[in-house]
Amino acid sequence: MGIEQLRLSVKLGGASGDGGGERISGQRVGQPRKSPSAPSFHDKMYASRNTSEPVLPNHVPALNSSNSADNASLNDADASLSVINLYGDEVESRRADDGALQSPEEVLSDDPGLSSTPFGQRSSNSATDGPDLDRYGFKKQNNFITEKEYNRWWRDYSQYCVRRKHKWKLLLEKSGFPIDNDSPYRFPPRSEKLKRYVRKGIPAEWRGNAWWHFARGQEKLNKNKGVYDTLLSKMDELIRKKKVVADLDIIERDLNRTFPDNMHFQREAFQTEEPPMIKSLRRVLVAFSLYNPKIGYCQSMNFLAGLLLLFMDEERTFWMLVIITSKYLPGVHNVNLEGVNVDQGVLMLCVKEYLPEFWRFIVPFQNQTGSDSSPNSSPSLGKNEFLYKLPPITLCTASWFMSCFVGVLPVESTLRVWDCLFYEESNFLFKACLAILKLSEQELIKARSLKLLRHHSISDGGDYNKREIQLNQDETEMEIFQVIQTFPKRMLNPNDMFDKVIFKKRIPLNRLDQDEVDRCRKYVAAQRLKYKNYHELIGTSNRTNESGLNGSIINSGDRDDTKHSGLGSEENADAAAFDFNDDRTASDFVNNALSSEVYGFKRGLSGVHWNNSIKEKVRQMRKRKVSSNDQLMKN
Amino acid sequence: MFQFKLVLLGDSSVGKSSIVYRFVKNSFDEFRESTIGAAFLSQTIKVKESDDGEETVIKFEIWDTAGQERYKSLAPMYYRNANAALVVYDVTQQDSLVKAQSWVNELKNKVGDDDLVICLVGNKVDLCDEDAEDNKRAVGTEEARSYANEQNLLFYEVSAKTGLNVQQIFQSIGEKLFETKSEEIAAAKNRQIGSSNDHVNVQLQRASTNDPTSCCF
Repeated sequence: MGIEQLRLSVKLGGASGDGGGERISGQRVGQPRKSPSAPSFHDKMYASRNTSEPVLPNHVPALNSSNSADNASLNDADASLSVINLYGDEVESRRADDGALQSPEEVLSDDPGLSSTPFGQRSSNSATDGPDLDRYGFKKQNNFITEKEYNRWWRDYSQYCVRRKHKWKLLLEKSGFPIDNDSPYRFPPRSEKLKRYVRKGIPAEWRGNAWWHFARGQEKLNKNKGVYDTLLSKMDELIRKKKVVADLDIIERDLNRTFPDNMHFQREAFQTEEPPMIKSLRRVLVAFSLYNPKIGYCQSMNFLAGLLLLFMDEERTFWMLVIITSKYLPGVHNVNLEGVNVDQGVLMLCVKEYLPEFWRFIVPFQNQTGSDSSPNSSPSLGKNEFLYKLPPITLCTASWFMSCFVGVLPVESTLRVWDCLFYEESNFLFKACLAILKLSEQELIKARSLKLLRHHSISDGGDYNKREIQLNQDETEMEIFQVIQTFPKRMLNPNDMFDKVIFKKRIPLNRLDQDEVDRCRKYVAAQRLKYKNYHELIGTSNRTNESGLNGSIINSGDRDDTKHSGLGSEENADAAAFDFNDDRTASDFVNNALSSEVYGFKRGLSGVHWNNSIKEKVRQMRKRKVSSNDQLMKN
Repeated sequence: MFQFKLVLLGDSSVGKSSIVYRFVKNSFDEFRESTIGAAFLSQTIKVKESDDGEETVIKFEIWDTAGQERYKSLAPMYYRNANAALVVYDVTQQDSLVKAQSWVNELKNKVGDDDLVICLVGNKVDLCDEDAEDNKRAVGTEEARSYANEQNLLFYEVSAKTGLNVQQIFQSIGEKLFETKSEEIAAAKNRQIGSSNDHVNVQLQRASTNDPTSCCF
């Protein structure tokens, strides 16, 4: 840490003096400045790395040209400016005076009130720069957002960021924490105020350090000193001896498919050398697969590691990946993906609890599926059925968890979610999901009314019957899926999610704390396991059509993994220990047991409006739970 | 208008998403982000009705899936009720054909519907130049074709990059579905007699959708 700080300070010292210093440091680093905070760390890693790959040359001029073959303006120094300048600290605004490298929007005063930065001018100025990039090197434009929309939004949001950073500085100064060279590494103790600050966004240049701090990365690293280096030597040795490195092949396939529209990950055709970012990504992912063979490599981890690498060095990225996959997303990337199924069950419970209107979109025929009583169809599993047979929308939301919204939300929005994830833990992922779903309601209503309109014309005067509606259930599901799939990609303004939902008292999402999520995960995991055991017990002979179940639960095997996702062995034994006499008793019994166990969200805490009917329901649920427990005992 | 559900299956990075993007958006990116979970897209084509030459619109609802082995456990959700499946391999990777064959087996065992149209698709033929020294082809056309014939699959070698044969895959699937379902369609149309509207939406998904197991996994 000390060395890194020193390095950074040397570099920035140069920068504050003149552009030349920056250029020199850029050459020394040998790669474009990738992010607000990362580059010098990368330098350190390469310097000490003894890999099988040709060690990164100290000078990699080729990288300057990524994305700007015929243009010298996107050189190292400029790339770094594009990151830092928009925050307008004094150093950078002074730099602007030399006028050599900056375009107008790079002049930002420290005073938020004065920071008028006609960002639009950049796009015209840089028309010759090739594709226009955001401050992390991503293309501003994509399939869902035009460059014009981006620039229009960024004009305001960049000023918001300046204002927030100003507040952060005051907070840190007041708390007596140093902001050395715009890279604070200590932060005030946890408090409601700090939480609010985090929710309003951590300054981009500080993110690497702040995430590392809040996720307790250093503690993890201190306990595992040297482990990352050992893993890398192991990888080198395996490769040198031409032994099979498990997962290396599938990792290779994804390296060039990680942020192909980010300049730091791109390799132009004329470049022979791989971008350093790709090399780092390979090392982190291979090291991880060696470190945790139970997860190995799972597609989506490339995006997690990729985004982390934009903000911190390889070793920290590695440990953050370890922390994310164990603490925040337990079991989600495991071979059987059961953790992600559990989280989808939790999300569905949360939707039902917090967004009842939205729930009706997801399970429009709840009455039919929920209280199905025909003896030959699948036995009724009561109100919890959606935990085992997850609704199709979860095919979409599963990826929200796996990649923590990378590639789902635009990058600035993703980063705001990550800020809160590392401060508030995984419950924030559920909050973010709920916020997105809530915001998409309008779109769904639009889609639905279009559909109804169509129905009306088809049925020629409203004569369509129930059957026809049911026939169209699949269609409805697809429509919902399409809306939910696309909607977050257009959520350019992160503040929408916060101001319109998360900060709103009307939707009491703050009740959804980590304790609740942990409890809920455990509950869903146990329910799914019971259901799985139940099916194994009564056999699958008459249920061959349940392909989904066969695939996602029964074939997924591996009890250890289920345990990993928060399930105690107690439930495991509990469900497996019953000795059923015949199928009928078994199914009746399990039905009873499963449907009587309804998850109860915490209610009645501060700020919640108590409602007598809720109270009554809760009382009934508790009663039922007790009586079913009694029944369990008797049996 | 007829709607068909189509699912793409195959090993990681064989070009499933690229084929879909070529078909739906007529575009191609050398490096496309790996698909996490699934993506849903739709596109319509027209097929000619045999006798009178009248054109019918067919809408494909396309499920594009992640290729990595561990995502396989989610696959049944995608191919449930599918009318057609594109099983994709990479002509430069022998392994990917083996994976494709296991997908074909899984579809035949698990879906077990004779009406399911399966098309074996070898992608990346743009990387093959039979005369060049660096010909990257690893799977011979005849090898794949004879397997496809044996299994009664449609078969195409395509290039998402150049667009070669991509449209044809969907065209021939559309025609085959249209043909095999035509009786069903006629019956469905008859049921609708009494409605004054000729343009009837006919759902061709097989399973009854009020089956409580059908919407879920």
